[in-house]
Amino acid sequence: MSSTSPLTLLVLVPLLPLVAALVGVVFGRRLGGWAHLPAVVGIGASAVVSLALLAGTAERVKSAGTGADSAAPVSVEGVTTLWQWATVERAELPAALPPAGTGAFSIPVALRLDPLTATMLAIITCVGLLVAIYSTGYMHGDPGYPRFFVLVSMFVFSMTMLVAASNFLLVYVFWEAVGACSYLLIGFWYTKPEAARAAKKAFLVNRIGDFGLAVATFLLWMTYGTLNFHDVTLGDGTLVPGILGQARLGDAAGYVGGTIGAAICLLLLLAACGKSAQLPLHVWLPDAMEGPTPASALIHAATMVTAGIYLVARCAPMFMACPDALAAVSVVGATTALVAALIGTVQNDLKRVLAYSTISQLGYMFASLGTGTLLGFSAAIFHLVTHAFFKALLFLGAGSVMHSMGGVIDMRRFGGLRRIMPVTAATFLVGSLALAGVAPFAGFFSKDEILAALHGKGWPHAHAETHEAGPAHHAAVEPTVFPGANTAAGARFASFRRADDQGADRSPGTLDRPATWRILFWMSLVSAGLTAFYTFRAVFMTFTGPTRVPDEAGHHAHESPLPMTGPLLVLALASAVSGWWLFATHALSDFLAATPSFAAPAVAATAVPHAFHVDLAVQGSLAAAIGIVVAAFGHLGRRSDGPQMERFLGPLQVLFSQKFFIDQIYAALIVKPLLALAYLAALVDRLVVDGLVDALARVPAGLGAIVRRLQSGLLQRYALAGALGTLLVVLALTWRMRG
Amino acid sequence: MNPAALLHDALLVGAILFALGLVGILARRNLIVMFLSAELMLQGISVSLVAWSRHHGDWGGQVLVIFVLTVAACEAALALVFVLQAFARTGRLDAAAWQALREANLPRAVDHGLPAVDSLPLTFPRLTPAGVLPETDDELLQREHV
Repeated sequence: MSSTSPLTLLVLVPLLPLVAALVGVVFGRRLGGWAHLPAVVGIGASAVVSLALLAGTAERVKSAGTGADSAAPVSVEGVTTLWQWATVERAELPAALPPAGTGAFSIPVALRLDPLTATMLAIITCVGLLVAIYSTGYMHGDPGYPRFFVLVSMFVFSMTMLVAASNFLLVYVFWEAVGACSYLLIGFWYTKPEAARAAKKAFLVNRIGDFGLAVATFLLWMTYGTLNFHDVTLGDGTLVPGILGQARLGDAAGYVGGTIGAAICLLLLLAACGKSAQLPLHVWLPDAMEGPTPASALIHAATMVTAGIYLVARCAPMFMACPDALAAVSVVGATTALVAALIGTVQNDLKRVLAYSTISQLGYMFASLGTGTLLGFSAAIFHLVTHAFFKALLFLGAGSVMHSMGGVIDMRRFGGLRRIMPVTAATFLVGSLALAGVAPFAGFFSKDEILAALHGKGWPHAHAETHEAGPAHHAAVEPTVFPGANTAAGARFASFRRADDQGADRSPGTLDRPATWRILFWMSLVSAGLTAFYTFRAVFMTFTGPTRVPDEAGHHAHESPLPMTGPLLVLALASAVSGWWLFATHALSDFLAATPSFAAPAVAATAVPHAFHVDLAVQGSLAAAIGIVVAAFGHLGRRSDGPQMERFLGPLQVLFSQKFFIDQIYAALIVKPLLALAYLAALVDRLVVDGLVDALARVPAGLGAIVRRLQSGLLQRYALAGALGTLLVVLALTWRMRG
Repeated sequence: MNPAALLHDALLVGAILFALGLVGILARRNLIVMFLSAELMLQGISVSLVAWSRHHGDWGGQVLVIFVLTVAACEAALALVFVLQAFARTGRLDAAAWQALREANLPRAVDHGLPAVDSLPLTFPRLTPAGVLPETDDELLQREHV
């Protein structure tokens, strides 16, 4: 099978939304109410192409997996270089580089296709399409209608480029681009002061993370002498191993550990924390709910905020070389999951509940990534996929409620909406079941895998025994082939296998101990219970009890139109079955295992057989059940209208509803001092700098005021001045000639 | 005749012409007279040029004078046009009529009365005044004309 055809298609995935955005920019105003057409068609076509690519890649993984008989992992990737963006001949290279360094700094605009990218592309474009369709109903009649669709198309373009880019600098560029789109969409209603402030906050907080990514990129260049993910063969035949290329992945000593390695990993983690709203940079996401709800669903729930997950997953081999950095990922993630869940339990704004839920679920994904096992990585992406479905569903459902309630989103002001909007209520319930982790909905399976990954690290021996009990299963499912995708396979074959043994016994870091993982596991389990609680608290407050509608809704509170309910139904279907289907068939985890980053020996060595952990499933379900029961106790039916639970919390309620005072701490520690400094600087500027400039400006004016008095308007005086001046000149000349 | 004496005399004539012109320009306010005075200065210089030319036996000076005459002729035509236009605007040939072009906040130069001169009172035939004499503000009138 030639590798050109899928890679040509790959270019179409970002290209179509870009064209849609450009068409929207040029013709948006003229299209008026039809301004959604370019976006819907462009993103729709892009979604079709993405699904085709996903199918094609899956086919390739499958055919690669059945061809050979060795015990090395499969790895599938394809790279297409569009053009060279920047080339610096004879660039300054760090001296400590491996000999392959060529001394040329070049940034190819290269797109890659591997299972991870294909999965992300499919999620982004499919959710993007559904959100675009939904928005035709939700944004109907908004004066910024064309602008909204241009921004959504731009976002889909940037996000697809971000996950398809095969170069850290390109990743950085589109990392910023999605941030810019996010900023523009949060501040979509820019005349609203809260929205403008929220946009600014999101932008500034993200800057901190972006700074981490920038410095990490510099360090990567200084350490590895290239920024490419993939290997590049130069014209003279020398191979420049990419940072995540086959050559380096196969090399056991390919990744720098120690201080530099840890610094790179922690900086990447900082970047991921910014974009994925993890502690301590999570403060922007709840405020980002000021944007239009479809944008919140697409950007701040399903796709953009998962960029951090993607980045860490992509750099998995780098993190594997630094166990402490890896454990830090988990600690950050599990802490965020717990803290955000606690805050979410007392929020009264439906969208904010979902926002904290998003932060919490992203924390889950990070906790899973940090385990540094193949199970952990694939569980994180699995949860990313299912979360994209059910969280987009929940956000769109919240948008539907908001649409019908005349813009009111405070859950205390409405209730019993299931009678008014049955489709929204039913789909929202499906999404909530999925989020809460109730079997057999999607979240149950992905959350179970995450808990299994954490459990496996906390109680390694228990898992070893479980897995030995089912060796037949083990042998049957583990991917065991390495045909070497589209690079020369033979040479690297051996090194891959040799490295297998070395990956297993890396020395544990100071954080990387079973005790740590046990704490993280219990934290995650508690978060799971809290998740179920706040989700169903929202469901009960919104949809059960006596029907109450706020005045803003007028008398026409009604179910949303078909363009809005359609995507809800599709997403509800996906939320209901995707988890079960992907888990039962192992389709996703087997597929993802063929990603080069996950097929690296260090990661692949941690592979465990697929198993359904009954004990963990019971624990998870129990946590969810407790959460739902408590929520029902506090908020079901007639109790749905008020803070029934809060009175049990006492002082904790203040702590939670003030979001652990994090915003206030930032205001006191960072914002206020900076404002004071800025005020001081402004004062100096106005008084000292401007004063100097003004003083200088007054000199010519003063001189002019003196000379101006000569301008009498009398011709004779001018003539006299001319004559006297001439006389002076003549006298001076005469005097000089004589002297 | 002694060439040095000839030069001397000619330069004297030129200097006298130039000085007369200069005094005319500085002392008189009539635009046409000022213009004539300027021409006088020009001729004074021309005489000097011719004198030096003859003294050195170099025709350059005289050629220059021919040019000066030509240019002066053109300039006279232009200057007369300006003077006529100025007259058309203010109705006066007084150069001081244009003093409204001075810097905005400077005081207006006021003509002091000339010392009384004994002369016959001029008498003109007058029509019987009719209607109301319009009040005129000299300054305002001039600014409008400008």
